[in-house]
Amino acid sequence: MLPNNQGRAPTTRIVSQSVVPRDITEKFTQAASKLKTGQLVKDEYFTLFEAVGALEIMDSKMDSGYLGPEENRQGLDDDYDVLRDLSPGEVVGIMDELLCHEVAWHMGHPLSQTLFTSLYLDKLLWPVPRSLEDTHFGRGKLSGDKTEPELVHIVLRAYCLALVKCCDFVHTRVTREFYYEEEDFSTQLYNRELLSHIDHGVIGNLLNRAISWIDEQDTIDTNLNSAIKTRLEFRHEFLFSLQQDTNILQTRSVDRLETCLLMLPTLKESSHMGQPVPEAFSWKIQRKLASTVPPRPMVRISLEDALAHLKRLCQDGIHLNQILDYRGPYNLRVAIWTILSRKPQPSVYIRSLIQTIIMNKSIILGTVPVKQFLYDELAALVLPSNILLEASLDETEVPSDPRFQIAQYMDGFVRRFSQPFVDTFRSACLNRCRIRRTVCHTIVDWDNLQMEDLDEQLRTLSEEPPLQLPNGDTTYSYPLSSWAYHHKLIQFRLILQLGFELSIYAPEELPGMYWYLSHICSTHLGHIDRIRTFIVSAAQRSRPSLAKHAVLRKSFLLFDRLTMQIVAIDALAISLHALYVLLSRHKTLPTAASSQAYSNDQFRYELRMKPFLHITLPELVPYDEYSREATLQGDSDGIVMDRATKAIGEARKAWEATLSNGPFLEDSNGEKPNAPALEEDWTRDVKDTMRACIGASIAIETVKKAIIANRKKGDGAQPLNLQVTIPEAGSKARWHDWWAVPQVQPGMKT
Amino acid sequence: MTTATAKKPSQSLNYIRYTPTHEDTYVAAMRQLISKDLSEPYSIYVYRYFLYQWGDLCFMAMDNDPDNPGTERMVGVVVSKIEPHRGGPLRGYIAMLAVQEEYRGLGIATRLVRMAIDAMGGRGADEIALETEITNTAAMKLYERLGFLRSKRLHRYYLNGNSAYRLVLYLRDGVGSIRTSFDPFGSSQGELLSGAPLHPPAMPTVPLLHKNGG
Repeated sequence: MLPNNQGRAPTTRIVSQSVVPRDITEKFTQAASKLKTGQLVKDEYFTLFEAVGALEIMDSKMDSGYLGPEENRQGLDDDYDVLRDLSPGEVVGIMDELLCHEVAWHMGHPLSQTLFTSLYLDKLLWPVPRSLEDTHFGRGKLSGDKTEPELVHIVLRAYCLALVKCCDFVHTRVTREFYYEEEDFSTQLYNRELLSHIDHGVIGNLLNRAISWIDEQDTIDTNLNSAIKTRLEFRHEFLFSLQQDTNILQTRSVDRLETCLLMLPTLKESSHMGQPVPEAFSWKIQRKLASTVPPRPMVRISLEDALAHLKRLCQDGIHLNQILDYRGPYNLRVAIWTILSRKPQPSVYIRSLIQTIIMNKSIILGTVPVKQFLYDELAALVLPSNILLEASLDETEVPSDPRFQIAQYMDGFVRRFSQPFVDTFRSACLNRCRIRRTVCHTIVDWDNLQMEDLDEQLRTLSEEPPLQLPNGDTTYSYPLSSWAYHHKLIQFRLILQLGFELSIYAPEELPGMYWYLSHICSTHLGHIDRIRTFIVSAAQRSRPSLAKHAVLRKSFLLFDRLTMQIVAIDALAISLHALYVLLSRHKTLPTAASSQAYSNDQFRYELRMKPFLHITLPELVPYDEYSREATLQGDSDGIVMDRATKAIGEARKAWEATLSNGPFLEDSNGEKPNAPALEEDWTRDVKDTMRACIGASIAIETVKKAIIANRKKGDGAQPLNLQVTIPEAGSKARWHDWWAVPQVQPGMKT
Repeated sequence: MTTATAKKPSQSLNYIRYTPTHEDTYVAAMRQLISKDLSEPYSIYVYRYFLYQWGDLCFMAMDNDPDNPGTERMVGVVVSKIEPHRGGPLRGYIAMLAVQEEYRGLGIATRLVRMAIDAMGGRGADEIALETEITNTAAMKLYERLGFLRSKRLHRYYLNGNSAYRLVLYLRDGVGSIRTSFDPFGSSQGELLSGAPLHPPAMPTVPLLHKNGG
């Protein structure tokens, strides 16, 4: 279904004072009368987007200024008195309701349907206050007309102002980074401001004053008194936590968030004391907001959901501290992808904050220049102690000197590659759907960036000797292209694995997709071997010093680590491929497409390979070859069963080894990140994969037995007497989102 | 299925192609039918946008109206369009599909979609695309039975916050290789026509993953 989302249309609003309105009703009616019913007069700029964004005047669901007969009596305005006395219970109720709205906004709902439905906030924020003095509930009333009750003026006001300031910090962080409007977050402020020009310290003082005031009250019930106090204290800590923001890079302090986390249970426990004041919130305020979107219902989330969201936000924020110490690109990649792969995914605020922390003003983690970051990566993978990286350390300024020229070329390389390289980290901060879509695009960029000609120029300058292949041919290392290819292969794999996670593939595609995953893995393993070979031969030529030996040893450890991981993925993919081939051959695999479907397998293969069609390397597998490989054409059931069994055995061993290796590697100084929380996440992930391996072993055995049973009965061509279900990603029976392991059970048939 | 069959009111439904001559009655009935499944109605311009330009790609299932003997009422409708996609393949797009509740499970939607696909194929479509809510299993099954594949998942695509799948069907060989025009917005603005989110207008044209705000 076409989405009906007017909010996505750009909102242009004329704010100029010089506009003079004039009535065009008559002219318009005259012109319109000349049209036939259904006739559409449009210019080329009227796209589907405008059609969806268009509003029908005088339709109560679209026209925000239209009042139906029902509403007409009630009017556009609310008659709630924000200066009225509130009982302490009502204050708690309003605070909790505001908190729910705040979190709903964090979750991506627009302010208009959440916080901006509060009549208290409306009073504080509109008209836009010029100073702190403007921000009180008695605005616009004659002085002395009515005094503001202290509980409202001192307590609720301070809470509201601090809440708005919290939103200001979140809004500022998110809008400075890469996000998707409406998918991740709604940034629209409807021409209002979130007290961005008011210092958080001043608001903190107001909160402190409110806390002291509430401490002095002896007429309020003790429990209610402490419920209010806790809420003020939480707000205070949350305000200062959000103010910390990227300061964490310098302070390494997450104390405030830790305090917030500790306070959340108290908020929950005392919430029953809150007395709801529904009339203090109104969806009608939306009519006053600068928006082309018709009023929509208020978004309601439970306090429980809100607190759960906040709890995750605090925890994720606290664990951010564990990614800040720079221990090389490999470890940073593991840490970043681990924290961002948490389920549910960290909130958009945390994801934005991580984007800034990864790189801000060309500095990684606030300390490492991006060039150094890229060089560290190249040194570890393709150029351990190599002149290409050392050349820039020289102060050679003689243009004819090869080292000078190498440095020039390498600077050009850094200019072209640093952003795409950093983006392989930052892309982890997008929502999961967008990660896959983005990588489908960046993979093309990486393909275009892979530049053999640069390697050739550098090779001449560095006088790299060729390597003789066993068949007598000679070849060179092409280090920079090799590195780019390595990353491209990682991205291929990510596209496939996220495809499983996002339930993109139909059941009948699973044999082919797991074959393709293993194909990419074996290509990758071959590529890592190639890189290793060149480094070994370079080392043999140069007889490296002791120091260089240590550097080389680190690289070899990295290769071993990468190899082990890819072997583990490869083996599990091979076994699942074989398992699905068996199910498919024996007509036991559920299929989504019917026999009367349009299109055919070849077209569907082409559609599936769409992200890879224009990639030069690795080459696209032609359909015929894919079809043979994916179905294991020519291999008997016996061979396929053997293949599945052997591969799953190997997978289990390789995942065991991966687990015992742990997530991180020692960096060049022999240090590993100190990140226990991330280590725990990573371990859980590997263990889930190992459960998938066990699940696959069981499924393989069950299928083998059924095939043998069929054969004994002499009806080898009959579907197996098995029930096969493929658990949905995210469900409990799906051990790991990246591994669609079928549940195979003996069937009901007799 | 048995209960649905029992409800089947007449032996033969009448499947017809939209014509503008009865626009008043058709559009009103269509809006009523489609709005039932939506939290907010599409404006009349959305219907006009499709019907005025691609009325021949709209098909309707009609049944005898028990309340008004001798007349027919609309019980199912499909609305589509066909256009080059980003200057590349000719893409047929199924924008809306609805079948009246008591007529569901009878294969009416499948038949309507087939008519639309055939019509778009007849006009040279290279591919057919559409989006469907991930929670709408009936629709997903329908399209997947017809050979559609999920090409991507769209996060929080609809007003209600639900995500969608883009479903695509290639009708000929080599569609995936047809180059589309270069699009600096990459994955975002380029999909504007299919309703993907739009960045704030202030967003500068920068490559992927660069800052997009402040």
